[in-house]
Amino acid sequence: MNKAITIFFGTIVVIALSGCGDDDSSKQEVKNYKYTTAEVYEKMCAKCHGEKGEGVKKEKGPALNDQEVYELKMGITDIKMGGIGGHSSGTEHEIMEHNMQKIIEKGMDYDTDAMAQYIYENFNINK
Amino acid sequence: MDKKILEEGIEQIDAILKEEGISRRDAMKMFGLGGAAMMMGSGVVTEAKASSSAKGKILIVGGGLSGIAAASLLMRSLDEPNITIIEPNEKSVSYQPGQTLVGGGVWEDSDTEYMTADFMPDGVMWIKEKAVEFDPDNNVVKTSGGQSISYDFMIIAAGLKLDFAQIEGLGITDSITSRGDDSAVKDVIGKNGICSIYFANGATNTWKLMQEFIEKAKNGQKVQGVFTHPSTPIKCGGAPKKIMYLTDARLREADARDNAELTFYPNGGKMFGVPEYHEAIVKQFEARDMKWNYNHNLIGVDPQAKIATFYKHWLEKGEYDDILEEYSMVARGEKVEVPYDFLHITPPMKAAEEIANSPIGSDQGWVPVVKETMQHVKYPNVFALGDIAAVPMGKTGGSARKQYKVVVENLISVMEGKELTAEYGGYTVCPLITSLSTVMLAEFDWSGKPTPSFPLDPTQERWIWWLLKVYALKPMTQYGMLPGRA
Repeated sequence: MNKAITIFFGTIVVIALSGCGDDDSSKQEVKNYKYTTAEVYEKMCAKCHGEKGEGVKKEKGPALNDQEVYELKMGITDIKMGGIGGHSSGTEHEIMEHNMQKIIEKGMDYDTDAMAQYIYENFNINK
Repeated sequence: MDKKILEEGIEQIDAILKEEGISRRDAMKMFGLGGAAMMMGSGVVTEAKASSSAKGKILIVGGGLSGIAAASLLMRSLDEPNITIIEPNEKSVSYQPGQTLVGGGVWEDSDTEYMTADFMPDGVMWIKEKAVEFDPDNNVVKTSGGQSISYDFMIIAAGLKLDFAQIEGLGITDSITSRGDDSAVKDVIGKNGICSIYFANGATNTWKLMQEFIEKAKNGQKVQGVFTHPSTPIKCGGAPKKIMYLTDARLREADARDNAELTFYPNGGKMFGVPEYHEAIVKQFEARDMKWNYNHNLIGVDPQAKIATFYKHWLEKGEYDDILEEYSMVARGEKVEVPYDFLHITPPMKAAEEIANSPIGSDQGWVPVVKETMQHVKYPNVFALGDIAAVPMGKTGGSARKQYKVVVENLISVMEGKELTAEYGGYTVCPLITSLSTVMLAEFDWSGKPTPSFPLDPTQERWIWWLLKVYALKPMTQYGMLPGRA
């Protein structure tokens, strides 16, 4: 039994050390996207959210030009992850969530932070 | 770390236990005795940064896990720390992740209850009141006792509120926190088959009601167990499923599983945002004959009739969209009534109103921060972390463990007039309890991909992670993180 305890503690020490360190083992992969953020916006977003993010009522696309950059980042990340919190909460943007998957399937995937930054810098009216 | 060594280690433990004729359950008890002491003495220490001579009064709103951990690390990092914490709850540092185990009858409430006084770092001024008014333009906070506290720098770590009041029919009008005054809900939640592990007494009552539920099944009654997941962001996104897995395990233990139907009703349309974990969970549900109905949001409960009302929503094909080259989608929904014998509610959650409606709050309530630096988007001398911070995902002790170091490092940079260099990458972890002896350690971040800390397939349920959850994580949190060391 002593042997088991030794191995167990040894294992946990290894786990604790590697789990608590500030190692960067989880570095994100660098992804190359086929289209630039501007191209994706123009082709996929503008029809419903407006050429300048002003929103298009007829298409039920809400305005994006009054959102702060952090709001855009949160919103787009949630939509791409398919739900707030990473689990089963869902989002308020079910239709956009569906559209996002279609956009990815069409090879128009994009970096969410870069898109938020693009929308804010080019269209924001409160800046 | 070498994957082979770890796997061989686990195999060897199993082999030795078998040889000695010791069951895994008994072995865990033996290990548990030494485990906590061992963890405290282990080398799990974050090197304190070279000490800083930066000065200024730091006010921390909230003395839970995040607030105390940040205070502890600041105390060790500053030559002349001047730190005040506003926290009304005497037990704010209690170990919340343990509430799932209490609900499943593995732990008792006393295993999770901790006194804040025992963890308050020496030298910190503790005001046992509530922050009720924020004036960040003048760097002043008002307290429930009428004090005006001025500050140079502020950290918001106020946690979140459980808002059962959003569910109709329960007769609940006020929100509560995970520990402390639960008088707003205690006459309803924890009785007549309705329970919730999200608050301390609720967890204790969950175990009572679960045993009654199992007893009925054992006596041959056909029973329904219903488990909900709301539309709001929630803390510990895995807990609504964990308590379901534990109910399943307890029913099997009692040889009564065949008489119970267990169904998960989440507002969302999947089990997990990370596809690998989603698929693993779906398989685990299928293997246990646990059912699920996506896109159901709990909006009402009739405690007398034992009926839960959900808003069921779906998308229907609309007009053809020539941009997407697909049919566009139209949202539809209807109310659905579901009878239950055992109803586990994961309540909607929100930021405290006094913060949400103040200049430091936001439309959604959460405190808006630059998600990498954790600095407030409008007030550079204000930071936020933990459940109240508006960052995607997060709201776990695991994310707070990464965030508090980022906040402290960046706050010191602000105090020293330097650029912010520390960045949070969205790391979070869900030790998903899948039975009474297994856990799937789901680690992930904003990349939307699994980010395992160990070279083991992260989609597998493992006994070693059960040991981690039940014996190691609590001492790591209470004696590693709260003192700002790990």
